[in-house]
Amino acid sequence: MTLTRRTLLTASAAAIAALTTSGCASPPTASPGRLALWYATRGLSEEVLRDAVARFPDARLDPAAVGDGLQHRLLAAMSGGAYLPDITMLGDDVASYFPDADQFVDLFTLGAARLAGEYLPWKWQSGTSPDGAMIGFPIDIGPSALYYRHDLFAKAGFPSEPDDVAKAVPTWDDYFRFGQELQRALPGRYLITDTKTVFTYSMAQLPVKYFDRQNRYLRDQSHVREAWDRALRAFRLGLTAGYAGSQDPGTSVDRHAAWNTGKELSFVNASWITGELKESAPGTSGSWRVCRAPGGAGNQGGSYLAIMRACPRPQAAFEVISWMLSPENQPRTYLDVGLFPSSPAAFGDPRLRRPEPFFGGQVTMDVFARSASEVRPAYFSPWDINISDTYTDELSNVELTGKDPDRAWADARTKIERLLQRQGVI
Amino acid sequence: MSLLDAPAVTVEPVAAPPRQPGRGRYLPYYLAISPFFLVFAVFWLYPLGYSFFVALQRWDGIGPMHFVGLENFRFLLTDATFWTSILNTLLIWVMSVVPMTVLAMLIAIGLNSSVRFTGLYRIAYFLPNVTSTVAMSLVFASIFSGQFGILNWVLGLFGVDPVPWLTNPWGIRTAVAVMIVWRWVGYNAIIFLAGLQAIPDEVHEAARIDGAGPVQAFFRVTLPLLRPVLLFSVLMSAISGMQVFAESQVLVGNRGGPEEAGLTMVLYFYNEAFYSNDFGYGAAIAWGIFVVVVIFAILNWRIVQRPERRREVAR
Repeated sequence: MTLTRRTLLTASAAAIAALTTSGCASPPTASPGRLALWYATRGLSEEVLRDAVARFPDARLDPAAVGDGLQHRLLAAMSGGAYLPDITMLGDDVASYFPDADQFVDLFTLGAARLAGEYLPWKWQSGTSPDGAMIGFPIDIGPSALYYRHDLFAKAGFPSEPDDVAKAVPTWDDYFRFGQELQRALPGRYLITDTKTVFTYSMAQLPVKYFDRQNRYLRDQSHVREAWDRALRAFRLGLTAGYAGSQDPGTSVDRHAAWNTGKELSFVNASWITGELKESAPGTSGSWRVCRAPGGAGNQGGSYLAIMRACPRPQAAFEVISWMLSPENQPRTYLDVGLFPSSPAAFGDPRLRRPEPFFGGQVTMDVFARSASEVRPAYFSPWDINISDTYTDELSNVELTGKDPDRAWADARTKIERLLQRQGVI
Repeated sequence: MSLLDAPAVTVEPVAAPPRQPGRGRYLPYYLAISPFFLVFAVFWLYPLGYSFFVALQRWDGIGPMHFVGLENFRFLLTDATFWTSILNTLLIWVMSVVPMTVLAMLIAIGLNSSVRFTGLYRIAYFLPNVTSTVAMSLVFASIFSGQFGILNWVLGLFGVDPVPWLTNPWGIRTAVAVMIVWRWVGYNAIIFLAGLQAIPDEVHEAARIDGAGPVQAFFRVTLPLLRPVLLFSVLMSAISGMQVFAESQVLVGNRGGPEEAGLTMVLYFYNEAFYSNDFGYGAAIAWGIFVVVVIFAILNWRIVQRPERRREVAR
């Protein structure tokens, strides 16, 4: 067919017609007839996913690694009501989806309750909305521990074996005292990354955050003030290195270098930092240990799988995800991408309890498993992340720009109150 | 856009056989120019109106909207963070545009006088402009890193104390400004070069004959003749300067770092809308940015217009 004006016009008219009609019939899910699963890069094990595709041929699973923009894509699809995934991953901001719980399938209606006993109760509960609808099925968790340099602790003549260190620093105050003494022996080194980590992990150890389960802002926020004062104390004692926002590339360069040079003697962090530590400080292999964190067990981070309301075959989707995240598959996910199991049955797996050369042959799983089992259930509201960020921003201002602490506290409070007023919460 | 005005003017007198009275007569022409207006309506006009509508709501992006009237705008005007973000944007713009223009001019003059490998230089200077901002920010993060950065190491060689670039408010703004300079200096140098080459040799010759030295010739002859090009470059940098976002975000994170020093207007908008899921307030910020940009555009326009008027008066 030669290209004449007539054929061109006909073709474009046909194309426009096709576009218009398909536009009117946007499919509700991203891959009709199949089960689209969206997950963040390294948010699930590729190996387990491959097996799931093969094991459930009738489900026709269609996994897609969406990368870091998952939240944005999901929001866009949800507000448009089209091209939704059937199954999606949700991060530790799962609570921000609770007000729109009706967009998801309540997993209790698919028989999730019978699996409750296989997962950590606090994690299981954190995926359930205040109205009792279970949105998020547990993927992984982030139990915290104290990471420290065994070799340098020993060199300075301090307790250096995990049990001894844990015994020496049961509370944050003990840890600060310990740190001051250690700094006298090893000057110019730090035991805390920044004030932000003290605040974040102090809050992570508490069973109450900022709201009660009815989404009412707690009148009594004295525990927040306590965590704030503790972070300030660490700063005043000169224990913090001040790499504020250590998760951003700009400042993590310094932190990584400090791991390599031994300037950062120890830090409290969730288990997911292990991969980063190994990658950025390979030369320190064998010198690190982990032990119970000062102040006790806490959790920071973690993720979930959810089934969208638009999914035409929720039961099939549930079969797939409950298999993928089963206690049998969680050790594989941990070995493949380092996601810490949310099922206690996985903690005893011999593959996970192998001694780790990077930690001088220590079985770190035991430390994290204990921390994970001791975490107390807490309610996270949709506003928690924003509130916590506001406090840590102001702490960084004190730490890095010399802002008056009282003013910083007052500013943080004003900002939070204004935010909550704007959002109609208080 | 100017292309679209043309048919209406040229076509009207030609296509006027009185055979087809009424509206239908112009239909083919309207049809012919409709694609632009359709695309404009769908992708510009509708979002514009919708964003104003959203700015009047409290909305998390998924659930039902709650109408709150002008509440978001009232909040915006009393929001210290928003004002900080405007100040940051302007500061970073000034801190980047001045050194950038001077540097670009020097490079352009150098390129204009060098004979060999001009093409190679042109490509080399243009490359930063097409490099991914995020990849670039990662490199700059290592350069500016406070304790182990290359820049502080170099400063140390000269006996200068390390500067906490990424944890000090002015350090952050400087780092962001340097990244903008690095990205745009080559682009502007090439524009200046084009401007320089458009100046006829006779003018320079005349200046030389009249006894002007190279410096005098530059300030009295070249620079005044380059004025339109300079204005264009400042205008373009103002447009991109108002939109600075990725540099800050990758360097100091969504929240702008200590004292929110790296928080630009667009970053604040992004943070509220897409990170905190507050689309109502995000839309209000977007309209705030719009007002700032309009004020800026009026200022720019007046600066560009003034000499014309003066000349007219002189005539």
